[in-house]
Amino acid sequence: MNPAPIDDLTLHAWLDGELTPERRAEVEAWLQANPEAAARVRLWAADRELLRTQLAGVLDEPVPAALEQVLWRKGPARGAGFGAGWQRWAGALALFALGGLLGAGLMWRAQPRAPVIAEATEPAWVTRAAVAHAVYVPEVRHPVEVKAQEEHLSRWLTKRLDVPVKLFDLRAQGFELVGGRLLPDAAGPSAQLMYQQIVPAGASGAEARPVRVTVYLRKPDRGTPAAFRYEQQGALGMFYWVEGATAQGGPCGYALVGELPRERLLAMAEAIYKQGETPTR
Amino acid sequence: MDAPAAFRQQLLGAIPRLRRYARSLVFDTSAADDLVQTALERALAHWHQFDQRRDILVWTLSIAHNAYMDDRRRHARMPMADSNEAQAAIEERHAGDTPDIGLRLDLVAALKQLPLEQREPLLLVTLEQLSYAECAELLRVPVGTVMSRISRARVALRALLDGRVPISAAAQTLRRVV
Repeated sequence: MNPAPIDDLTLHAWLDGELTPERRAEVEAWLQANPEAAARVRLWAADRELLRTQLAGVLDEPVPAALEQVLWRKGPARGAGFGAGWQRWAGALALFALGGLLGAGLMWRAQPRAPVIAEATEPAWVTRAAVAHAVYVPEVRHPVEVKAQEEHLSRWLTKRLDVPVKLFDLRAQGFELVGGRLLPDAAGPSAQLMYQQIVPAGASGAEARPVRVTVYLRKPDRGTPAAFRYEQQGALGMFYWVEGATAQGGPCGYALVGELPRERLLAMAEAIYKQGETPTR
Repeated sequence: MDAPAAFRQQLLGAIPRLRRYARSLVFDTSAADDLVQTALERALAHWHQFDQRRDILVWTLSIAHNAYMDDRRRHARMPMADSNEAQAAIEERHAGDTPDIGLRLDLVAALKQLPLEQREPLLLVTLEQLSYAECAELLRVPVGTVMSRISRARVALRALLDGRVPISAAAQTLRRVV
């Protein structure tokens, strides 16, 4: 057998794991027979380790608050270049102020004729989600139609809504599923999943009723891009969004409703969003 | 419209590695974080262009790369590649007395000496563990170019760390300390 010649590029590709298994075996055999080249490759590998260890420290540093704030800032990002010094800050501030003014102006003007994407939010169904929340959350005896323990809950709702209804796990956020119910909506049936705050075993039962949040799901009116919005109605906070069609089924509108601080609702909304991406368990 | 919270969360997760990459590009911590900030802002502004089947890190790294290139174009001369500055950094760090100082200086100084076109693919492949194909796409050069640049970068880095290409007198002195 006469394998292709092994040059330096091949050796680098070998080190970087870019070769096919057959070629890798060839290179390894060749390296055994060429100790000088093998020593060279070992040095490259050592340099790679040096790079990784020397620069690993950054990964353990906490994310600077300024960077994290960039992520949660509302409104259009400025997307400008980076520089240094006061000019950048002054520029950023000016842009920010201008952006605020522009944003306020746009909001003012765009309110009646909503832009394409805002249509996805259909305030009407979100309002229905809030109403359904208000109606069923105080229920003591019949908060849900089908309890969480019943296996067919997810299948039943999925079938009736014609969108994949997953029973999201919010235990990491301190809430457990109570169950779900089918509700009428303009476009067809919708579903409500109810979650209740997990009360620690030792807590006294005489306290107020545990906090409940509801997830309202429905088939969106048309194929609309994902929007992630927050709305506050008195003490009631709502996150709502539309998810596009996935391998598991068609698009689905979600509204998470609860009397909780925005951050806690957000954490739950994110958990739901994430779980929506993974295949049904 | 604003990026979805889940997308922001994904970006948040990418920050540590973005920071590391930026740091290996511009070395100076605050300049690197400025670059990360720019990359994050651009990512947020263009979030709808992100294909969820792709790796968010590769995507944001490419944004950071583009932002960096834009900035370099803006300031035709790149101060970070200046060997005088590298020298200054060496001396400054020498004053700081961290235990692995000699090693660290040599590596950072050597990295600084590498031309950007070699440094970037080397870092993307060895540090960020991108494939050659991902790296080529990110840098918008053919895979063959990535391969030859990585090859040259490794050889040059080795020579620099070996002291065969004198980095500077200060670095030589420091090497003796180690």
